[in-house]
Amino acid sequence: MKKALGALIVAALILAVVGCQQPAPKEWDIPFLNSLTGQIASIGAYLEWGADQAAKEINAAGGISGKPVKIIPVDTALDPQKGSTEMARLVKNTLVALGPVPEPVIMAAMPIAVENGMPSITATTSLEYAQKFFPWTISWFPSTQDRLAPLVTAWAKQFSDLKKVVQFVENYGPWPGMADAHTAGLTAAGVRVLDPVEVPSDAVTFAPLVVKALNEKPDGFVFVCKPGSAAKLIKELKSRGWKKMDHLLLFSSADAPDLYATGGTDLNGAEIYNYINPGIDNPRWDGFKKAYADSHNGEQPPSLSTNYYDAVYMIKDAIEKTGVTGLSGKLKAERKLIADYLQNVKGFHGIMFDWDMKDGIPTNKPTYIFKIQDGQKVLVQEVKQ
Amino acid sequence: MPLELYYFLSITAVNILLSWALYLPYRVAHLHFITVANMAISGYAAAWLVMALHVPFGCALLVGFALGGIIGFVVSLFIGDAPTFAVVIVGFTFIFISRTVIENLKAIGGAMGMFGLPNIGGNPDTHRLIIMVTLAALLLIVGFLLHRFEHSSLGRAASAVFMDKDLAASLGVDIRRLGMLLQTVSCTIAGGTGVLYGFIYKSLHLDFFTFALVGIAMTIIFVGGYATQWGAVVLAPILYGVPLLFPPAVQEWRIVIYGAALVLVLVLKPEGFITRRFVVSMESFLSGTRKKRNTLSREEI
Repeated sequence: MKKALGALIVAALILAVVGCQQPAPKEWDIPFLNSLTGQIASIGAYLEWGADQAAKEINAAGGISGKPVKIIPVDTALDPQKGSTEMARLVKNTLVALGPVPEPVIMAAMPIAVENGMPSITATTSLEYAQKFFPWTISWFPSTQDRLAPLVTAWAKQFSDLKKVVQFVENYGPWPGMADAHTAGLTAAGVRVLDPVEVPSDAVTFAPLVVKALNEKPDGFVFVCKPGSAAKLIKELKSRGWKKMDHLLLFSSADAPDLYATGGTDLNGAEIYNYINPGIDNPRWDGFKKAYADSHNGEQPPSLSTNYYDAVYMIKDAIEKTGVTGLSGKLKAERKLIADYLQNVKGFHGIMFDWDMKDGIPTNKPTYIFKIQDGQKVLVQEVKQ
Repeated sequence: MPLELYYFLSITAVNILLSWALYLPYRVAHLHFITVANMAISGYAAAWLVMALHVPFGCALLVGFALGGIIGFVVSLFIGDAPTFAVVIVGFTFIFISRTVIENLKAIGGAMGMFGLPNIGGNPDTHRLIIMVTLAALLLIVGFLLHRFEHSSLGRAASAVFMDKDLAASLGVDIRRLGMLLQTVSCTIAGGTGVLYGFIYKSLHLDFFTFALVGIAMTIIFVGGYATQWGAVVLAPILYGVPLLFPPAVQEWRIVIYGAALVLVLVLKPEGFITRRFVVSMESFLSGTRKKRNTLSREEI
């Protein structure tokens, strides 16, 4: 009788202990706050595609710590109101998130992630935005000044006849800061930077802007505006007799399908800088390009398409290398583990190159200058910081 | 209070206040989009006062209201009795001007925006409590004032102006002064609302104050019912809240669903869900009940 009672008590204790243990998650759910509808839905679509592609590859190779990963799309529709409410919903149980996208939603939603200690990787914005939310996010790019000034200096030094440059600048988020960095780079190359021409966000006609810029008699132009606007400005320049196409430099955010669709062959010869190089040859990148082309009518992957692909792999590394379990009872501690890991990743194997993070900032990412030819980018040079 | 509920309620309250700010001048047929610009101007000004000059939030909020009111009054001197279209143009122009000015002011973050607005009261919980209480008080005060306005001679004068300006003028309504009053009050409400909007997010970006915000307020007013203040109260939570409940697969079709709903409402019920007739019948129903009670009590006496 006593033995039976003892066995019962032991069994009850075991059941109680087992019952109290929280089950480990069956899969890693990673929400992605993204703009899937609204003005930048086309960009949101390929950002989502990149993250999904990484998840597909990771799952095919056995998942993260043996469990599958799933990217949960959360549409913020470029709306700060929706972004903040969605983030408020996510911070309850989410281990780590991707996004938000873009800056207005980041500014409305990231303070909620910071307040609740949830890491969320904002892989499309500049350091100047991301660093306000450290250590709960990381920057995908070094400081605008450190990154862009040497790049533009390298571009300017290609041409001995480039003495005066005008920038077309659209006043949006980090873009004026990027234009300032271009100015520093041009000045370092001994080029005089003339008065910039502001491109209104809702500009319909571009002729007056081009006439104003040409009146300053520059030798070259730098474009810091939306892809469609940049393409229309270049078309307008050509229609007014501009010949030196390589003396036109487009900034990275203009490198989007809209640029090539609007500009067509009028862009031939113009130069553009970016952070990815489609010409790099490695099996992962080749696979990515092929998969993208297969699902996008043969198109090349756009400039930001790999950011969230790499971000998903970085989260995989963080979970596996810090031994994160995903148990809800450990949520707070494990969020911190992931955030701390992400801040100082060493030797991360990105799809195109390896890089390190130091205190949330990448230290050794290259940048590239290309020449545009029939909608394709041909590498001119790689520029290292 | 759960965090998502706080954001839902606070942003809904902002949307109602903004819709009321647009509704008020619309009573004299003025679509006064300057309200959105005023939200931005007051929001940035208050944030700068709090962050740079360490002015207490309460004072900064009052400055936000005052700034909105002053701008509204000055502009109304020129467009107090202007036709609807002219008021719309002035509103749009003002949005562009204020955006350009803010974009070029480095002290308030320029095109990048303002980060790190502090917690009012020192911690997030107190901050949320203060924001909620302030918004609730503002809703009650503005709602009460609007209700009184609707039932006053001013409200009747506004209805007359909405129907026919010449007729209203022949009845002795001072159209210009009425327009100026409504525009000034509208901008005052918008100014304070802009301050609270910024402090909900704890940051400010020019894209918080775009034409999308105008679109939200217009949808709330015209689908909810443009002839009474209650349309905004009913539709603001529905318009903002229901899409949050959509499953991800339906989310992508959100704009299509909005569009279809708008078309249906405009075709089937052009005056919006909550009509003046509906409000009047509700009021008579309620007052009828009250009369019965009064009658009974007199009989008892």
